[in-house]
Amino acid sequence: MTTTQQQLQHLYWRAGFGPRPEDVAAGLTPRKALRQMLRDSEKVELLDSPQMRYTEPLAQFQPVVPAAGKPQSDMVTTPDQTAMSAGMEAPVAALPARSALAGPQKGRPQPPLLRRQDMSAQQRKMQNQSIQQAFYAMNTGWLARMANSPAQLREKLTFFWHGHFACRVRRPDAALHLNNTIRQLALGKFSDLLLAVSKEPAMLQFLNNQQNRKQRPNENFAREVMELFTMGRGNYSETDVKEAARAFTGWGYNAQGEFVFRENQHDDGSKTFLGRTGNFTGEQVLAIILEQPRTAEFIATKLYRFFVNDTPNPAHIQPLAQAFFKSGYDISALLEQMFTAEWFYEPANVGTRIKSPVELLAGIKRTMGLQLVDDKPLIVFQKALGQTLFQPPNVAGWPGGRNWIDSSSLLYRLQLPSVLLKNAEFNVALKQDENDIAPNLTKAERTFQQQVKTTVKLAPVQALLAKTPAPQQSAELSRFVLQAPIRPENRALIQQAADKAPAEGRLRTMVTSLLSLPEYQLM
Amino acid sequence: MPTTRRDFLKTSVLASSLLFVPSFLHALDRQGLKDLRDARGRRLVVVQLGGGNDGLNTVIPYRNDLYYKARPTLGIRETSGILALDKDLGFNPAMTRLKGLYDQGQLAVLNSVGYPNPDRSHFRSMDIWQSGSASDQYLSTGWLGRYLDSNCPSCPTAYNGLEVDDTLSLAMKGDLRKGLALKNPDRFHQLTQNQFIKQVSRQQPAGTLSELDYLYKTLAETSSSADYLHQTSKVYKSAVAYPNSEFGRNLKTTAELINSGVGSRVFYVSLTGFDTHVRQQEQQGKLLGDLSDVLGSFAEDLQKAGNFDDTLVLVFSEFGRRVSQNASNGTDHGTANNVLLLGGGLKQRGILNNAPDLQNLLDGDLRHQLDFRSLYATVLHDWLEADDKAILGNQFERLKGLV
Repeated sequence: MTTTQQQLQHLYWRAGFGPRPEDVAAGLTPRKALRQMLRDSEKVELLDSPQMRYTEPLAQFQPVVPAAGKPQSDMVTTPDQTAMSAGMEAPVAALPARSALAGPQKGRPQPPLLRRQDMSAQQRKMQNQSIQQAFYAMNTGWLARMANSPAQLREKLTFFWHGHFACRVRRPDAALHLNNTIRQLALGKFSDLLLAVSKEPAMLQFLNNQQNRKQRPNENFAREVMELFTMGRGNYSETDVKEAARAFTGWGYNAQGEFVFRENQHDDGSKTFLGRTGNFTGEQVLAIILEQPRTAEFIATKLYRFFVNDTPNPAHIQPLAQAFFKSGYDISALLEQMFTAEWFYEPANVGTRIKSPVELLAGIKRTMGLQLVDDKPLIVFQKALGQTLFQPPNVAGWPGGRNWIDSSSLLYRLQLPSVLLKNAEFNVALKQDENDIAPNLTKAERTFQQQVKTTVKLAPVQALLAKTPAPQQSAELSRFVLQAPIRPENRALIQQAADKAPAEGRLRTMVTSLLSLPEYQLM
Repeated sequence: MPTTRRDFLKTSVLASSLLFVPSFLHALDRQGLKDLRDARGRRLVVVQLGGGNDGLNTVIPYRNDLYYKARPTLGIRETSGILALDKDLGFNPAMTRLKGLYDQGQLAVLNSVGYPNPDRSHFRSMDIWQSGSASDQYLSTGWLGRYLDSNCPSCPTAYNGLEVDDTLSLAMKGDLRKGLALKNPDRFHQLTQNQFIKQVSRQQPAGTLSELDYLYKTLAETSSSADYLHQTSKVYKSAVAYPNSEFGRNLKTTAELINSGVGSRVFYVSLTGFDTHVRQQEQQGKLLGDLSDVLGSFAEDLQKAGNFDDTLVLVFSEFGRRVSQNASNGTDHGTANNVLLLGGGLKQRGILNNAPDLQNLLDGDLRHQLDFRSLYATVLHDWLEADDKAILGNQFERLKGLV
């Protein structure tokens, strides 16, 4: 049996990024808390700040018209194959190719765009740095949002769709735009979300639809949209992929980063797709995909695995999927149905999911009011633990579950609380840059070895324990911090640590120890 | 290969159903698999060159005019000390110690290794090489991780696969078993000696299949592996001089582990910095010198202890570079590349296939003549005596009589 407090905490962990002490103190029923969460998520606040704005014009975002047989993937994360012009703010102001942006000048031949391979090492470095800074700001800004935003449900869903519509691009502005599109539609109709994401420059670029032309169809987007975004394998044929690809020909984006339909590149001939024949457009192909009950099942299953249990239970999922389909893919309605189901609060589903690195970090930030003086280490932690926002491993997203855990990642997880709350040193040499931005970093540049300056707000936690006599405080605290039942040996360990600590450091010691347990890796 | 995308793992290899095999069956398995698991004592050391090493300036087609035509200033001239091999190919002048191994018959070169529809992103192409996937396939496990899965799913030894680094590569992650990353045994041991972690890691998993038990099990294995490696690695301290570089230290650690008798089958080490778009010559020369000197010391170290015959070293990079140089005296991302194999147990040595075909390019890039998964299949089946088809999800033609 789970207690009401556990159930409430369960809801906050799954539908958001963890409970704050004041949420537990308020003691709403899970049902009321859910309604509150839905209300708090109605407003859409876009992720944005001056530091996140990367202003290099999108001109070079436009691929060079591929020569026959030109590799299709070279626009994706391959900086060095990409024609890059200048024009970023400060760092590249001095680049000679600025004139490439000034528009055609009469009587003078246009200088070629400055391509990345033609840049000096210094110019490359500066460009890399400003790209990296934008990604860092987006990453830590979003993490702060996860910890602090009242719109917990919206941010959690944005995070879910971020992994579902996994996209990895070199352009921070394109990645941010996609992220905000997802944020806006995260709780609406899946059909709207799917269509909008399909028209995002980041996605069109990542899955090569910019190169999808009548004469030379590129199947990448058509394939992934069915395999990973909607129906899953086994529900369409190779012919369906080819026919769908034809329908998406002409979908691209312009230099301003806007979706464009290039009619002259679109194949408007007759297609046969999933048993239907017509002169389908891309929109119509998406509509046909949504007419398949299989799509509702696939999405409901994925949501279930993310929010409820990694092992899908068909008895739970079937009704969800059917209602989802009937409602015209209403995401909020599905979530409400899921978070109010009795089975959602059953012990088998509580404290049994391994937190992803981002969920772990956001959770500590939210629950303990943790703040870093400098946010940069948050990126180092994500990299060391294996999940960096905006950098999914590939279009299939993060595999999750036990995949997060190996010997070293587990040891980093268990050390992290001492780093964040007790000034312990974090020490790691990261692997090569993950976004192809700077693959030649030296070991010194990849190494992080320092203490991390932080502040935490433990007063609300203290308040939560106010009525509990000292000897029972560790047990009470563990019920707040942990979703999995604490092992008796561990309770003794915490008590021991608390007894040894000086009075003023007692709470901090107990909290640190609890956060360092394997139990805390679960939610 | 669209019909084999991704789902093969779920059906054919060792899916999590193995978890439900009663433990007495695991015991039987263990006996039956003993030979397979030990592969008669043989081990594999994978050396990853990160950033995309320029293969054409590593193994140089120095008698081919097309090479010099494509690289008027970057092409390395015979007079600058190319170390002649066979088939009109020669090593970069910095690779003297590898040339020595070549002359001793302990090195083999495979040219133009790659895969269809090559990807030019560092990250994605490395992902493909590490997972052993096709370029339109996305796997969440690595080829060596699946080897660990298959070779002994129930072994409580995380150190069966060791990566000498702080974090674990995808290559070493399986569904059931994962390798262990450590910079050196002492430092790793220290981490597990943290008072609190030590006490927690002593606790036994309850013996269920829960996520919590998985965490406790991983922690207990990590801790006992750290103890084992810390203790065992003291047996042998290398007396061989290694270059004073990070890569040198990592290979020295690897040699000490091997020569101490640590029972790990797979080792993984990286050398990075090969992304040479600008002023390539100097940078690549330095790196290849480091690679060659370190591997020379490593071979010497293992030879002295009588362990080189049981060791196969595989050196690869995520892609080669374009055939033509760029305007900055560097090269941009390319496709197929050479792979080096080293070891005392090579049955074939020297240049194993045709030199890269510079005539018949695809958009200025080399066409691959050998799929890297054929090489993986050969190593898995013939060297590690594992089920290459199950691990790679497909039957790739093996190279006969290589190892």
